[in-house]
Amino acid sequence: MKKKTVYALLGVAVLGIAGFLISQALSSSLVYFILPSEYARDVESFEGRRVRLGGLVEAGSVQYDEQQLHLTFLVTDGIAGYPVRYDGAPPDLFMENGGVVVEGKFHDGVFVGDNLLVKHSENYHPPTDGSPIDVEELKESLR
Amino acid sequence: MIDSSRDGKRPLWLNLLGLASLALFGVGAYLALFASPPDVNQGDLIRIMYAHVPVAWIGFVAVGVSAVWGMLYLWRSRPIDDVRAVANADAALLFSLLTVVGGMTYSKPTLNTFWTWDAKLTLTALMVALLVGYYIVRGLIEEPQRRARVSAVIMIVVLASLPFNYLAAEWFRTLHPAKSVNLDGSGVTMAPEMLRVLLINVVAAGLVFVYFVSERVRVGKLALSSARERSGFEAAAPATGEVVRVR
Repeated sequence: MKKKTVYALLGVAVLGIAGFLISQALSSSLVYFILPSEYARDVESFEGRRVRLGGLVEAGSVQYDEQQLHLTFLVTDGIAGYPVRYDGAPPDLFMENGGVVVEGKFHDGVFVGDNLLVKHSENYHPPTDGSPIDVEELKESLR
Repeated sequence: MIDSSRDGKRPLWLNLLGLASLALFGVGAYLALFASPPDVNQGDLIRIMYAHVPVAWIGFVAVGVSAVWGMLYLWRSRPIDDVRAVANADAALLFSLLTVVGGMTYSKPTLNTFWTWDAKLTLTALMVALLVGYYIVRGLIEEPQRRARVSAVIMIVVLASLPFNYLAAEWFRTLHPAKSVNLDGSGVTMAPEMLRVLLINVVAAGLVFVYFVSERVRVGKLALSSARERSGFEAAAPATGEVVRVR
């Protein structure tokens, strides 16, 4: 076998191993946010720790005081749900049954957020076709 | 192909390609800004997507093409392959920077942040860092053969990171939305009239990319031939993989 061929095979092998390791590292450590049910399963380990909590805004749970800029709502993943308090205006794409990721800490069962991010689904369509938001699909996107 | 690189004039087909890409870019911009309906949730902000997604895709393509020319250089050590690899690397850097700028513009009004360290964005930052590193390394190495080999390896590493980047939102929890156009045939979660506008903009961005790279290769060939004339015959393309040391 030529020297070049050996080097090429070695290179492919090294890259393959590197890729495998990267994928392992990413999938185990890069959990961008936790779900309410994951918090419920392991409350102690998250107490007082700064985390990102992600889920859907429960329909009918949103209360917003425009004067005081107090926003409260329930974030849920269909299994568990927790009240969220956020001092600030809701983002434009914040909506009931919409995805959110909140950065903050748990205090006595209430998640106090200081940063409210929107996680929208990958469904794009004009408003005229009258189809309601597919909540199941949104939940699927949060898994 | 006719070698028009010697007289230094831009060939007709390249000028026509430039005009065609400009024209299609205009059509794409019109469709994105005026013809496309607004999105049910995002409203007019969806129009940024028509720029962000094509630019990101073409950036990926540019990395892939550059890596292929880099591999060919590693295989047969022809200086022209390095010229082609660099031309595509230029496009890769430009398009990935535009992806980040466009993504930030799109992200602030929709996701409520310019930047966050989720898997998709982290891998994109890594890609930009590696592409910047590509040029730093090229600037540090004097010897053309070694420079070409090392930078080819860097681009292959960038290429190896792309599948993770492309599928980040599917494989990991991210803030960045998941793909709407699935190439594995599992469907498109975008209204057909929006997909049409997106694909026209992808072709427009692709034409701009091909024009840019062709022009860059043409200029690179001129630089290569003038360098050969200056340094004499023996410094030109070695026939085998043997390195010609010029020290």
